[in-house]
Formats: sequence, C-alpha cells, structure tokens
Amino acid sequence: MVLMRLGLNAPGDPARTMLGGTVSQELIDKITLQYHLDSNLISQYWYWLKGIIWDRDFGYSVQQNISVFTYMQPKILVTFFLGIYSLIWGLIIAVPVAVYQAYKRDSRFDKAGNLFSFFFISVPALVFSPFIIYIFVAKLKWFPRIGEKIYPWDDLAAHFQNFFLPVVVLSLPTAAVFARLLRSDMIATLQSDFITLANAKGVSPQRTLWVHALRNSLFSVLTSVGVQIGSLIGGALVVEQYFNMKGMGFLLISTILSKDLFVVQSLSAILVASVVFANLGIDLMYTVIDPRIRHARALL
Amino acid sequence: MLAESIEEITAPKKAKRRIGWMLGTAWISVLSFCALFAYQLPFITKYDEKIKIADRARAYGLGPSARAWLGTDKSSFDVLSRCVYGARLTLLIGVGATIMGLFLGGLIGILGGYFRGRVDRVVSIIVDSLLALPPLLLALLIVYRLDDLKLTIWFWRITRPWEITITLGILSIAPLARITRAQTIALREREFVLSARSLGAKNSRIILRELLPNLMPTMLTVAFTGLGILIAAEGALAFLGLGVERPQTWGRLINIARDDLDIAAWATLFPCLFLLLTVISFNIIGDHIGRRFDIREATL
Repeated sequence: MVLMRLGLNAPGDPARTMLGGTVSQELIDKITLQYHLDSNLISQYWYWLKGIIWDRDFGYSVQQNISVFTYMQPKILVTFFLGIYSLIWGLIIAVPVAVYQAYKRDSRFDKAGNLFSFFFISVPALVFSPFIIYIFVAKLKWFPRIGEKIYPWDDLAAHFQNFFLPVVVLSLPTAAVFARLLRSDMIATLQSDFITLANAKGVSPQRTLWVHALRNSLFSVLTSVGVQIGSLIGGALVVEQYFNMKGMGFLLISTILSKDLFVVQSLSAILVASVVFANLGIDLMYTVIDPRIRHARALL
Repeated sequence: MLAESIEEITAPKKAKRRIGWMLGTAWISVLSFCALFAYQLPFITKYDEKIKIADRARAYGLGPSARAWLGTDKSSFDVLSRCVYGARLTLLIGVGATIMGLFLGGLIGILGGYFRGRVDRVVSIIVDSLLALPPLLLALLIVYRLDDLKLTIWFWRITRPWEITITLGILSIAPLARITRAQTIALREREFVLSARSLGAKNSRIILRELLPNLMPTMLTVAFTGLGILIAAEGALAFLGLGVERPQTWGRLINIARDDLDIAAWATLFPCLFLLLTVISFNIIGDHIGRRFDIREATL
C-alpha cells in the first residue's frame, strides 16, 4: 500500500521538473527580474513554484498582458465540469451494464455489450465528435453549435444543453473501459465462495449482486479512473476544439502556438497535479472499499 | 474426447471472431497497398490535381460521385486521394514510432525486469513519470519543444514528420516497458532460465536467446494495439495544428473541413472514417494476437 502510494506520487516531481525544463527557456529574451529568468532552469522553476505557493502567482501572460491566474480561471472551470460530468456519466452507464453483463454471462445482452465496449474503446474523440455533430447539430438541429452561457449559475438549462454532446463523446469511451474491467472482475467475484454463502443463507439475488459482489469488484475500475483522467484530458483537448468551448485545452493549444510560456507551463503543471492528486485520492479510496487494506498497512 | 467437445463449443465463437479479424487485416492491407502505390494506381488523383467543374475549381464542388469517389474538399482536391496520400505518412509515422517504442521500451523493460535492484528502480521512475502525464499533453509539449530546438544531428535534419515520430515513439515507451518488465520478472524465475544459467550462459545470451523469444508475443500484442492509439494520437496532433504540412494527414483534413460540416459533410466524415477503420483494425489485430497467445492484459 505504502509502496503503491509512493509509486504514484513520485512521478509528480520529476515530471514537473521536466515540464519546467521543456518550456521555460525561450523567455530569456524577455528577462524579468521578478521571475529570475537569468538563473538556470531548475532554480527558475523553483522560483516559479514558490511564487505559486506563496502568492498564488502563476506568472504573467505576455500576449494577453494580464496575470496567468485571472486568464486561466474561467477556462479551468469549463474543463473541470467537462471532466467531472464525463467521469460520473461514464460510471453511471458502466456499472449497471457491467453488473448485468456479468450476471447474465454469455447472453445476448452480454455479447452486444462486449461488442459495444470494444467499439467505443477504439473510437477516438477525434472521430466520434464530427459524427455526433453531424447527426445532432447539423441534421437534427437539437443542439446549438456554440453556446455562450456555459456556467451553471448563469443558466442551468443552457449549461446542460451545451455540455450534453461533449460529455456524450467523452463519457461513452470511458464507460466502455469501465464496463469491460468491471465485467471481468464481477465474473471472477461471482465465482468466489462468499457469494455462494450469501446465496445459501438466503440473501436476495439483487442484494448479492449489488452489495456483496459489486463492492468487491470495484478495484480495477477505481484504478483505471486514475488512468482515464489522463485520457479524458487528452479527449477534452480535442472535444473543446470541436464544440468551440473555451476550456483549458483550447487555451493550451492557442498558447502553445503563440508561445505564451507561463500559461503553457501553468496549465501543464495544473493538469499533472490534478492527475497525481486524483491518483492519491483513489489510493485513499481503496481503504474505504476494502478495510483489509487499512489493516494490511500495519504489516508492511 | 474432452478436448474435442471443448473445441466444438468454442468453434462458432471463433468463426465470428475470425470475420472481424479478416475484415481488419483486409482493410489494413488495402490501405497500405493504395498508400504504397498511390502514384501508380489509376483511380487515385494526383496529390496536386484539382478537380474542375466546367473548367472552374469550386470549394466542395462535387459530392461523392463517379468522378471523385469521396467528393472534393475546400480547395477542390479529391478527398480520396488526399486520404490515401495522408495514409502514406500516417502509417509510416505510426510504424516508425512503434518500432522506436518496441526497441527502447523493450530494452528498458527487459533490463529492469532482469537485473532488478537499482536498474529496476531507475526504469520504474522513468516509466512512472511518463505515465503520470496525460499522453496528449506530453505529446504536445514534446513536439513543441522539438520544434523549437530545430535539431540537426550530423547531417540529419529533424523535420516535422520526424519530430512527430520521435514524440509518439516516446509515448509508446512507457506501456511497452511496463508490460515487458512484468513479463520478464515472471519469466526469469522459470526453469528454462535457471537451466540456461546453470549451463553457464551469460546474461546477454539469456536475455537474447531465452527471454526475448518468449516476450515477443506480448510485445507484439501491445505494439499492435498501441499502433492504433498512436495513429489516433497523430490525428489528434494534426487536428490541433501540430501536424505535417504536406502531405496533409487525416487529422488536418478533418480540421480544415469541420467548420463546413453542414454543407459538405463528406469532406470531414470520410477522413474520419479512414481513421476510425484503421484504429479499429489495429485494435482487432492486436486483440486477435493476444487471444492467440493467451495474453492477459495487465495494462489498459
């Protein structure tokens, strides 16, 4: 347990250091004393990190002439909503489907589910979104192409209307990955002794399935949530372009192309940090699902 | 008797799977054939030849028709020929990156798994920090950085296609290294390695002659599935504006045409379809090889 947590946490530091190395050199001609750009890369990066922690100062956007923090804030929210909705919807779709698939193994539903999950795992967001846009926006005209009111506190209905299609595009592949993992785990769990015991002592099949078996099958899914966050971010970069949502991905691309370094650096650091912290949170959740892990740590 | 009955039970399933596999390999072979002989094949319009209607080149002049099978795009080029010429480069980049990943990832995976100890720790740190970053973000940053460096190694100028190949190669290192490492750890304890060692074989011989042949199926499975993902990633990079200028790859074709989805859906959807079919085909092939050698997917 401890080793695993270390393994997941360790990447944060070398990774961030690498990011600092990869992106901060070009600003040397715009040397600012404030950001210590005349010192070497590593200490530059150190000063920048210190600035974030002490003063919430992410640096200064050269192009936009405002501080990176005020520039990024609205965009981060968009991507945040996109990611959270997709993850939640992915789980909402995947869990019942996978449980039922495992329950009725090798049935027609199971086979169809397998086929669908294989298909959706293969479909990249790049390909999925134009088809969705073509059908629902261009042909059926159910959804607007671009929406302005994207915050829930401005207009709740418009918010969900704008987020619906991008979330569909992002959540279906996520759901497919989850469903596949959960199905195979459920099948393994359903064959174990304690399920037989539960059946024998007269627990209702539904309760066995949803309480006893599901809880013990959630590990791989939970682990893959951490991995999926990474690919969700990648998908969000593409989807935001398609749906003209001004989110982090949109910002990242435009700043990379215009070489606005502090913004690129800040965005990368935020994304990496969110992945690392999500993984830490997931590790902590293991103990909630399975109390044995909590006790096992004493043995290590 | 028993073996026969088992085979009888699993036979229909196998047949169904074989159809998918045949379609997948057929698509890949047709595509590679067209891509290889794009200059010779009569039905593929030359890359720079505009399709004119009454001597005038019009944007999206032709839909899918006899003259241009998949229609024409914004600059009245044939979409089919653009897709095929794009496939030339995309396949080359994908294969090149996979070979690079196989070589480097396999190397560090075997070294880490075989020697354990300090070597293993270094390998783990490299792999973990590569995996901590969202893949597309990492790709964007590396391409951006390589682009900025304008490297020249001796007389070999690193141009855009090479940059993308190197980037995707780096991306494919981590999953390959992880799975080879896990497999090597399992294999090095086996009897045949022990017997080779007791006969006095050197480490290099054990790795090359005993371990490597046993690792090949796993590596190939991961490589084929990875090839699909890499091609999708190349598409995403091109879509986001960090692609190759000439010949235009699929991602760029999609990006150029996507704003006119309402009036000329073919220009967007057909490149998408090419990408989709290719990715799915590689996934099916990888899946098939995996089943053939009965490899449990340790990583997703």
